[in-house]
Amino acid sequence: MVENNIKAKMGEGIGFERIRRITGYLVGTMDKWNDAKRAEERDRVKHGLDCACGK
Amino acid sequence: MRRPADYISAEGKQDMIHSITKRDGRIVLYDQQKIAAAILKAMEASGEGNAADAARVANDVQRSLELRFDGDAPDIEAIQDTVEQQLMNHGFSASAKAYILYRANRTRARESSTSLMKTIDEITQVDARKSDMKRDNANIDGNTAMGSMLQIGAAGAKAYNEHYLLRPEHAEAYREGDIHIHDFDFYSLTTTCCQIDIIKLFHGGFSTGHGYLREPQSIQSYAALAAIAIQSNQNDQHGGQSIPNFDYGMAEGIAKSFRKAYRNELTEIIEDFLDKDDCSETVKAVISDAESATGETARLECSQAFDTAVAGGLGKSCGISSADAGHLIKRARKRAEQKTDRDTYQAMEGFVHNLNTMHSRAGAQTPFSSINYGTDVSPEGRMAIRNILMALDAGLGHGETCIFPIHIFKVKEGVNYNPGDPNYDLFRLSCKVSAKRLFPNFVFIDAPFNLQYYQPGRPETEVATMGCRTRVMGNVYDPSRQIAYSRGNLSFTSINLPRIAIESRGNEALFYEKLQGVLELVAQQLLDRFEIQASKHVYNFPFLMGQGVWLDSDKLGPHDSIREVLKHGTLSIGFIGLAETLTALYGHHHGESEEMQEKGLEIIKYMRDFCDEKSQEMTMNFTLLATPAEGLAGRFIRMDQKRYGKIPGVTDREYYTNSFHIPVWYPISAYDKIRLEGPYHALCNAGHISYVELNGDTAKNVEAFEEVVRWMHDAGVGYGSINHPVDRDPVCGYVGVINDVCPRCGRHEGEPISPERMAELKKMYPDIPVFQGIE
Repeated sequence: MVENNIKAKMGEGIGFERIRRITGYLVGTMDKWNDAKRAEERDRVKHGLDCACGK
Repeated sequence: MRRPADYISAEGKQDMIHSITKRDGRIVLYDQQKIAAAILKAMEASGEGNAADAARVANDVQRSLELRFDGDAPDIEAIQDTVEQQLMNHGFSASAKAYILYRANRTRARESSTSLMKTIDEITQVDARKSDMKRDNANIDGNTAMGSMLQIGAAGAKAYNEHYLLRPEHAEAYREGDIHIHDFDFYSLTTTCCQIDIIKLFHGGFSTGHGYLREPQSIQSYAALAAIAIQSNQNDQHGGQSIPNFDYGMAEGIAKSFRKAYRNELTEIIEDFLDKDDCSETVKAVISDAESATGETARLECSQAFDTAVAGGLGKSCGISSADAGHLIKRARKRAEQKTDRDTYQAMEGFVHNLNTMHSRAGAQTPFSSINYGTDVSPEGRMAIRNILMALDAGLGHGETCIFPIHIFKVKEGVNYNPGDPNYDLFRLSCKVSAKRLFPNFVFIDAPFNLQYYQPGRPETEVATMGCRTRVMGNVYDPSRQIAYSRGNLSFTSINLPRIAIESRGNEALFYEKLQGVLELVAQQLLDRFEIQASKHVYNFPFLMGQGVWLDSDKLGPHDSIREVLKHGTLSIGFIGLAETLTALYGHHHGESEEMQEKGLEIIKYMRDFCDEKSQEMTMNFTLLATPAEGLAGRFIRMDQKRYGKIPGVTDREYYTNSFHIPVWYPISAYDKIRLEGPYHALCNAGHISYVELNGDTAKNVEAFEEVVRWMHDAGVGYGSINHPVDRDPVCGYVGVINDVCPRCGRHEGEPISPERMAELKKMYPDIPVFQGIE
């Protein structure tokens, strides 16, 4: 166990934390999200800043 | 009155049934009176027949059973079948129907008790990562003891509420997924959310229900008590807890801290100047005299009159020349300001830490907290805003992004929106912080539907939000109190809009007809729930009502009913999936054509008009909500896929689109998304939010970020925020965008780095966390 902890300390098996806005609030790690909201987050596309001219 | 038993004949004794078989297989004695009583109940429910009729039917039931079973023990289902038959034979068809309904309800209740046990089994046995049900609300950790206990309680309450509290038609609509009753586990218990006016709460001190707290006297205690207020109220309500006036409230604490710091710093400086040990009493007296002479106290904003009075006092009691005194006071003032600023930062840091770590609701959740600020232009208010933003920017102990509270920056022209406005610098700072930490969100007082309530100098008329998006401003129950403070939502129920569209098969008139029916059903259900809420008393809500947090509850005694004061709150009708609704009805959604935008606005306006009419009719606040749809995102569509299959653009994904949003997967520019969603904000008066997704680099460009916020302001958006990826590598502590490789330490997800590399990194970045991961 101690050995595992040392490995974990150096990053073995440790993922990145990804914080996203779920609805109006934030959730610390994505693994707490329900399946539908995870799918929704996966599908989100970025919005470009063109059209700023107010076409 | 005679009971049915009195009429039961004694004939046919030779074939008499002695016993029956219960559902669990036990044999018990046969009792005809029980049958007669059940028949009489059905008759009473349908308004036909009397005790004598019931006994006659019961006699025939018995005869029929004797013929059929010939001395054997009949089972319950056979007896009930026979009762139905005999009621029909005797011409009591309405009673037969009532009896059938009763049987169906009992069957459902029995089945639900089995399914309840299965649910509890899942809660206790299955890891939350594998159980979607346990992740219904991302804010509850379903893997912990208290989280599981909360979920078991919720499951039991839901089963009870469905079978005992809902009208059958509401239960059916809920069960079948026509509507969703939010926070259904709390149906019989409490209301949703509240804006806590901390200024009013703190004046004179307050009680948490577990102890009395004196009025706070420094910024540190103001911040600590603000967190306690949120925590205490969270135990009385299930929804979001918010402070609408965080800057104005903290400003009072900062003023008290400064006044103390001014005296302390001045004392030290005078002691040094005179080379004396203790001047505290002298300085205290000088300040006290200056206070009574000028009617002022030492404030952050320098008052010539006050400082001159203090200088005069120092001359008299210590013999200090007026030039020296002026100089010393200036230094004292400067040091006091620095000290207060430092204290404020620490207080804000502590507040944020508290709200991310303190627990409520049996320890399963941190409170769902929000704070609104941005418009207090006093030096104290500005100090509060700047420091809370800096604490948010710094993050938690290892630089983690704070999840709570939700920060909301109130944007207002003439106050903070344009260059030259007194708080414009703080608006800029809020953009910079939000570009890093996702908060603050922005609420726009200038949106016409918010501006109509705004009165300069009355902060309670400034719009504020709580929870995911809830907004409460208008008040038909008491038009003289159209304010944000001390009010909130009572309950809300959402409509499965796409289903109505699917079932209308492109027929617009039919769609509106069905929509009207569901709106009426939901309004009735909200009123039923209100009746349950209104039957409570002040003592049921020791903090919310007992401490006068809710509007007008300070006029009530502990045993008073809360019915009337609750009417300051809102009953909200929500909806989900406007995009899928339009696609089902017309083939396109509102992101695709201006025509569909018109159609979309028509539908939402129809619902809003219904709410307004209902408000007038009942003199209660019915409002329209752009539902957040967290648990709901998947629930409706799963049921609709089962019913209708996968309809392209309607039911072919795993979720329905949030309220009136343009679908998340639809390519559109930020500008157009904001322009199209803006008009819906005006219609959804119970709450709304729009967001746009920026890539990480754009978000870092504060100019571009501010530009997007300005588009929202100009498009009539009421509440908005900007999403961008915020990632963190817990190993090296890097915060920012991480694609496949961490830009700081260079590792992939799951990969270790060498101890040598770690040592190198630690030299370069002293903020690297000491230890994290699994212990």
